Amino acid sequence: MNTFLQLCFGGLALGTSYALIALGFVVVYRASQVFNFALGELLTLGGFVMVALCDFGVPWPLALIGAMGMTGLVGAGIERLVLRPLIGRQVFVTIIVTIFVGMILRSLVLLVWGPSPVGMPTPWDPSASISLWGANVFYSALGAVIAGVVTLIGFWWMINKPRLGIGMQATSSNQETALALGIPVGRIFGSTWFIAGAVAALAGIFLSMFPRNLDSNLGFVALRAFPAVIVGGLDSIRGAVVAGLGLGLLEVLAQGYVNEHLGQFGHNFHTVFPYLVMVLFLVFKPHGLFGTKEVERV
Amino acid sequence: MLEVTNLETVYHGVLRVLRGVSLTVPDGGVVALLGPNGAGKTTTLRAITGMLDIHEGKVTKGSITFDGHNLVGKHPEAIVRLGISTVMEGRRIFPELTVEENLRAGAFVAPPAKLNDDLDRFYTRFPVLAERRHGPAGYLSGGEQQMLAIARALMSHPRLLLMDEPSLGLAPKIVKDVARLITEISKDGVSVLLVEQNATMALELSSHATILETGKVVLEGASETLKADADIQAFYLGMGADKTSFRDVKHYRRRKRWLS
Repeated sequence: MNTFLQLCFGGLALGTSYALIALGFVVVYRASQVFNFALGELLTLGGFVMVALCDFGVPWPLALIGAMGMTGLVGAGIERLVLRPLIGRQVFVTIIVTIFVGMILRSLVLLVWGPSPVGMPTPWDPSASISLWGANVFYSALGAVIAGVVTLIGFWWMINKPRLGIGMQATSSNQETALALGIPVGRIFGSTWFIAGAVAALAGIFLSMFPRNLDSNLGFVALRAFPAVIVGGLDSIRGAVVAGLGLGLLEVLAQGYVNEHLGQFGHNFHTVFPYLVMVLFLVFKPHGLFGTKEVERV
Repeated sequence: MLEVTNLETVYHGVLRVLRGVSLTVPDGGVVALLGPNGAGKTTTLRAITGMLDIHEGKVTKGSITFDGHNLVGKHPEAIVRLGISTVMEGRRIFPELTVEENLRAGAFVAPPAKLNDDLDRFYTRFPVLAERRHGPAGYLSGGEQQMLAIARALMSHPRLLLMDEPSLGLAPKIVKDVARLITEISKDGVSVLLVEQNATMALELSSHATILETGKVVLEGASETLKADADIQAFYLGMGADKTSFRDVKHYRRRKRWLS
């Protein structure tokens, strides 16, 4: 039972990060139908900015907020400089551009901070854990869940403000019509990229805490959150959160219970499970749990 | 109120569409802008609403003023805030959004305090929309969608409503409803610039009309006068001249040259 609880906490911690990353994908996709392949690099960037701020002597909570804000600004900057001029072009073009923006970001991170892994500073002893109902839970895992939930609530509040929420939906449905109604499409895109950058930084910071490290490959974790995006429904924020948490749990439980029986597949076999779920969803329920179905009149 | 003077536009830097279009919409008036496909009607609307940009077009000459404000080079959002609202061609409702979300999107620039009153007002006016308020707007019939598009455009409290072919693709009965609605809107004190291919309806509703052909104004005047004009009857209203001989076409061409 204790093992089960412990795995559940680990799963929730991982799931929160997945949920945050999925949210970063979804929020941009919802407004602009662009799948942002540069998001993974924003994770890495957020992590390194955090380390730099802490090295600089900024108190930890402030550094966390600062890293989120700065990464958000980088996101909004990318949107303003690179993507805004592409408004009105085919979405496909923009998506390809995000791949290259990601490559550039990755190279910049390597250039500035180098390839060697760094430990993420924490205000608590990195390997300390707390006993909850008999399960040993890392402080870092607990911190991830708390920070994630606080951010998700804040985000929920933001998009339910009538103007931003409806503006995002209208923009995603048809940019030109939204523009004709006086909705500032550019600013809506900017805010979605800011949000994506900020949540990516948060996810990046907690994902690179003990027992893991921060290095320039952190961005690939974003691809592990990909199933959460599909399973939740590409444009559903609720779906991103639910599927992120669910798949995080699934992955860690699989690691705890299934891996030992499937030793011949290698010790990282658990990472396959979210993808299996994704494939099942793609086959049987391609709109995901809460995704919008296309409306078509015959 | 709206004053368009000698407007010229290009698309992609080379394609000239408007070659000196002038028109005026007086306060509280209904003005029709008529013309065949490709005459530049929609382009004129895009120039007024600041939407040329995203179609890679721009105004090269002329001016557009609204109550003394220059509109050329202004962002669409700023233009909507000045009180100009558009019903785009082909309705363009947001199909995945509910009826109510569509209306709320239209109220984006309006003060949020008035939102509920406005919604109630339109639901009373269009009972069909009230019935389907929480259903996806894409499942409305064509006529209902047109009503929704008009209601949505009115949510921003415009003083000038631009309508691009509101009768397009609608059943004759619905076209009559739309026509009645346009009269009501103008009675409420909103000026209307009506772009139409359905000249009969447009001349019926408007006090003044401008006819465009290949980017130029070929005729303008009081709608009553234009309705009686033999050329208009022959070319736009499908009546009058019993046969369209080559000579008549030439006569018309000649007249176009004199007038432009």
